[in-house]
Amino acid sequence: MLFLQQLLNGLANGMGYVLIAVGLTLVFGVLRIVNFAHGEFYMLGAYATYYAMALAGLSYLPALLLSTVLVAGLGVLANYFFFAPLQKEHEFTILLSSLGLALLLAHSAEAIFGADPKYLDTPFSDAILDWGNITVTQQRLLIMGVATLLILLVYAFIRYTRMGQMMQATAQHPEGAALTGINTRFVHGYTFALACALAALSGALVGPTTMLFPTVGDWAVLKGFIVVVMGGLGSVTGALLGGLILGVAEALGGSYISMGFKDAIGYAIIIAVLLWRPQGLFNAGAQR
Amino acid sequence: MSFFKPVQALVLGVLLLPLAMGNDYVLHMLTLWALYSLLALSLNIVVGFLGELSFGHAAFFGVGAYTSSLLVMQLHWPMWITPLAAAAMAALLGWLIGYVSLRIVGPQFAILTLGFGAIVLTITNYWVDVTRGPMGLSQIPAFSLPALGLDFSHAIHMYPLALLLLIVVLYGCHVLQHSRQGRAFIATRENRELAAAIGINVFRTKLIGFVVATALAGFTGALYAHYLRVITPDLMSLSYMSAMLIMVVIGGKGSLYGPVLGALLYTFLLEALRSSGAWRMVVFAALLIACVVFLPGGLVSLWRRRQGAIA
Amino acid sequence: MLFFSRLCPLIFLLLVSMGFPTGVWAQAKPSVRIAAINPLSGAGAFDGQLALEGMQAMVSIINAQGGVLGGRMLELVTYDDKGSPEEGVSAAKRAIEQDKVDLLVGGWFSAVALGQKEVTRDKILHIVTSSQHPKVTEEGHKLLFRLNATSSMMSERYSKFICEHIKPKSVAFITINDDYGRLEVENYTKLLSACGIEVKGNEFYNRTDNEFTTALTKIKSLGAEAVYVSAINTSQGATIYRQLKQVGHRGAVIASAGNMNPKLVELSGPSIDGVYSVSLFAPDSQRPMARKWMMQYAQMFKNEPSFIGALGAQSVELLAAAINKAGDARNYAKLASTLHGQKWDTLLGDISFDDKGQAAQSIYLVQVKDKKIIGVK
Repeated sequence: MLFLQQLLNGLANGMGYVLIAVGLTLVFGVLRIVNFAHGEFYMLGAYATYYAMALAGLSYLPALLLSTVLVAGLGVLANYFFFAPLQKEHEFTILLSSLGLALLLAHSAEAIFGADPKYLDTPFSDAILDWGNITVTQQRLLIMGVATLLILLVYAFIRYTRMGQMMQATAQHPEGAALTGINTRFVHGYTFALACALAALSGALVGPTTMLFPTVGDWAVLKGFIVVVMGGLGSVTGALLGGLILGVAEALGGSYISMGFKDAIGYAIIIAVLLWRPQGLFNAGAQR
Repeated sequence: MSFFKPVQALVLGVLLLPLAMGNDYVLHMLTLWALYSLLALSLNIVVGFLGELSFGHAAFFGVGAYTSSLLVMQLHWPMWITPLAAAAMAALLGWLIGYVSLRIVGPQFAILTLGFGAIVLTITNYWVDVTRGPMGLSQIPAFSLPALGLDFSHAIHMYPLALLLLIVVLYGCHVLQHSRQGRAFIATRENRELAAAIGINVFRTKLIGFVVATALAGFTGALYAHYLRVITPDLMSLSYMSAMLIMVVIGGKGSLYGPVLGALLYTFLLEALRSSGAWRMVVFAALLIACVVFLPGGLVSLWRRRQGAIA
Repeated sequence: MLFFSRLCPLIFLLLVSMGFPTGVWAQAKPSVRIAAINPLSGAGAFDGQLALEGMQAMVSIINAQGGVLGGRMLELVTYDDKGSPEEGVSAAKRAIEQDKVDLLVGGWFSAVALGQKEVTRDKILHIVTSSQHPKVTEEGHKLLFRLNATSSMMSERYSKFICEHIKPKSVAFITINDDYGRLEVENYTKLLSACGIEVKGNEFYNRTDNEFTTALTKIKSLGAEAVYVSAINTSQGATIYRQLKQVGHRGAVIASAGNMNPKLVELSGPSIDGVYSVSLFAPDSQRPMARKWMMQYAQMFKNEPSFIGALGAQSVELLAAAINKAGDARNYAKLASTLHGQKWDTLLGDISFDDKGQAAQSIYLVQVKDKKIIGVK
């Protein structure tokens, strides 16, 4: 029984990680940027939802949608100012720029929103479903449901729509894509906005499971990196599998081995993957 | 190119003035600046000379601090040896991690070092029996020379020592920069294929640089521990790591005085902006981005440009 | 040459800027300056803010009553220790050397307090408000005083209450992995087993964790009737209470001593209703100074008055009283012996200090009912 419960916990947490990781992996695949600031968009999504509810009096779901749109817009601006001008530079420079952006956003959030923890209240967070000895909150079911739906949508989008195919082309060969008439700058902006929207959505969904504070983005981006490295930078299916594996490994490891193990396992996995199969466990080249 | 220039005597004079004023606070800040400069210089070897972005460097700083403290407190080693032992320990760890990681290129190296750094931090946090975990170590003995009345946990004594060590390390970096090894570093940084083509063992070069850098970081950690006398695993955290990177990048990576300048800015500007609260880190983040985007050579490149040198 | 003309002025400017005094204007009588060193950013920022607010409210009260020593106003000089010992030490040095404060109050995080006490050692009167680490007073100095009860002190009374009043058949612990938590679980395991409660197990968590479901699921599977939650950090505490309910625990929940505050109640929502704790501060206290302080606090700040704030206020109250009795704000030996020399009546009740500077204070049982913290008789 404990095993099943922990398995379920792991899958629920894992789906949360997946949501965070999908945007990160897309940005790397298409823009070739390792975006340390990704977690901050997660944090902003959670805060935007909180303030939309607190100040504008919206209920949870509309607030969630509004914050997703807002943060996506913010993402477009961020890309325009901090990443697009550095396109031609060494990836080092871009990495540092994203680190700077992450620090900027996290500390600005602390200065503006205050350091005190906030709670994002939703109608789903405390309601529990019980099946025999297995318990799960509605919020976590919501996360799992929405994440599954989103993964399918994103996958279908990339595979079948014109924009998605342009994203694939840009990811595979930027110069070649440009030669066929694709406006790569537009594709970049679009992808970045999409990634930020996904990050914000995950912030709004996963945020209510714990407290909100300005540095929550650091945690989110680290988890995202672990998953993305596991799944392969650029692979959406990789992100799905990686996220679930991480969630389950943490839950089972923490339960049966130790809590310290739970903390360390993510990092141990990245190290193992990067040394043994740096392109990721589920990545066959740059396919999606 | 000679290391010793007349203008340095003037600068040294200025830096020694506060000793006459006897203000413990200012001397404390200057001591911290000197220690941070050493730390930034060590990261500069990896980031500036080798051209690799390492996110795990804070771990070596922490390992040095803990090693020296524990050797003195638990095993009662004499205090003059322990910083060297700390440097050796950090170098060993650096060798292990570097050996495994330096073959990886690109952003994966940054993530890999991040992972290693995080694991070292996690181990330090959980291995409570040895490290006392999050509670940290306190009442760490300070270096002292009772015969001469010197107590190196007092800024007035530590500052000259730290300054002296800083000068020594700066000289060492200068020598390194102009040596064959140093030129090999730069070659592998600029174009690894070309460097390999002319016979430089790229991997070995990077490993040597990495180990030297981590040894220096560990040594600085030991100095820091015996000066401040309280350490926690936070030394290995991302916030220290970001601080180090900020110092190196804003100051000027790859240059000799850049990291020192970056450390100066970080230490003093941060204190001067105390009243701004959370906004002061926003200022630094903005400075970091500005440097990355507009001034890749850091502040040092500002007057290099004025002198017409190739930045 | 350019190096000289650019770098040296920069160094000079920065050094000189350190030399600027922080605005002490000439007044009728010079104010008594108290350094208030709290975490105001980073982890613990919110708690630091509450402590500072508590102090500021008390300063207003005392100044409105005419200050100390016949007309000298109290002035708080605030510093941010950022939760790190290094910053705490820098702040203390700045306060003493640069800003030349008269007295010092500081030390929320234990590591910070431990570092700071070495800076203040025999130099200035130092009151540590909330750090519970035993070494603060064990390795303290003659000018050091600590207000908060150590967890050993609170455990005697609290365990008695748990044994006699709450009476669970079994208990499991979830504990923060630091000095405080480890001592808690050690103490209570002994004390509760002694009265026949079965201790089913313990899980540790870290200062930086924000997800506890795995640990709590483990605890739930142990089948304990009550869960004892050791949490200092408000945010972590609230998350634990919520997630404890979310994993389906239906039994009693006991909060560790000294950590109940209104923000915790607000963030935990319904999951904290009925939870017991022990505190030095009872919000429904009828003591005149307590009520006065709470009213002043409500006028000045939008947060609710909390235990942390009350400790900050108590430090100011004690300093003012000692200064008045000793007749001097800078004769530290005299102030120290004055503080040691009697029992003081403060907003939290009676307080006296032992020869190591450790305070002995009243301890109240509290419970959360309908989103309010009330004292339990």
